[in-house]
Amino acid sequence: MVLEWEPVLKDVIFEVVETMFFSVVEFQDCGQGDRSFDYESEIELQNHDERMVISLQLSEEFARMITAGFLGIEEYQVKDEDLLDTIKELTNMVGGGYHARIDNVGRQLGIPRVRKIVVPNGTNAAQATVRLDFNFFEEPAGSAALSYLPG
Amino acid sequence: MSYNVLVVDDSRSMRKVIWKILRLVGFELGECLEASNGQEALDLLEGKWIDLILSDVNMPVMDGVGFIRSLREKNICSDTPVVFITTEANEDRLNQLMDLGASGYIRKPFRPEEIGTFLSRIMGETDGFRMGTSVEGCDF
Repeated sequence: MVLEWEPVLKDVIFEVVETMFFSVVEFQDCGQGDRSFDYESEIELQNHDERMVISLQLSEEFARMITAGFLGIEEYQVKDEDLLDTIKELTNMVGGGYHARIDNVGRQLGIPRVRKIVVPNGTNAAQATVRLDFNFFEEPAGSAALSYLPG
Repeated sequence: MSYNVLVVDDSRSMRKVIWKILRLVGFELGECLEASNGQEALDLLEGKWIDLILSDVNMPVMDGVGFIRSLREKNICSDTPVVFITTEANEDRLNQLMDLGASGYIRKPFRPEEIGTFLSRIMGETDGFRMGTSVEGCDF
């Protein structure tokens, strides 16, 4: 299944992760969000009619690794606040990159937010959403999704 | 010659990265100031001599547009180049920044050398900076 937003979001995520975080991710086909990750970050692109929401979920391991790469430090030196801040910055750049590649008339980029995913055993918060999964060296690293909400 | 620089960004990580890049591209840092939004930056600038302001656009409390507008209205740092480092893609908003007197903007994601080239031009360093020769300067 290829969704309308999939090719653009793939390009944007690949470029941002490679340029600013010195890593390369490999994309999988869109799935039903049946993978579990540790952090979720969202950013909105809003116009008068609707809010486009880009969501990224990342594994702890991948988030820690890109934070270390971004800040130029070792992974063991990464503080939790830096990790959360870097995930937000990644989402900010992905949101801005997506914005630049679409017809952006009247859309305004919001401020990213991030949370640690806490789910009961055996369930996945993202199950209802179609998500674009990506790997880092064949290990699940994260997923992305785009959805629309009323303005 | 060393430069006093103010970095304005709500992301602490991004501020750290900008300082690292400035050092990496050989930008000689004098006094280093940082703020997490436009209002905090305005408060910091009182009575300070700053050679360069690097600012984000999308920030809580006071965004980049409000910040540069306030600088111009209050005649603060009127000769200081203000460069925006941003994910902003809205052309109207970017044009608004330029109309308010921004010296330019750099889109994220960027490569360090783009920052070096851009800033050497803005600062009138015709020979460019000495890339990678200096790790001195403020540390955050």
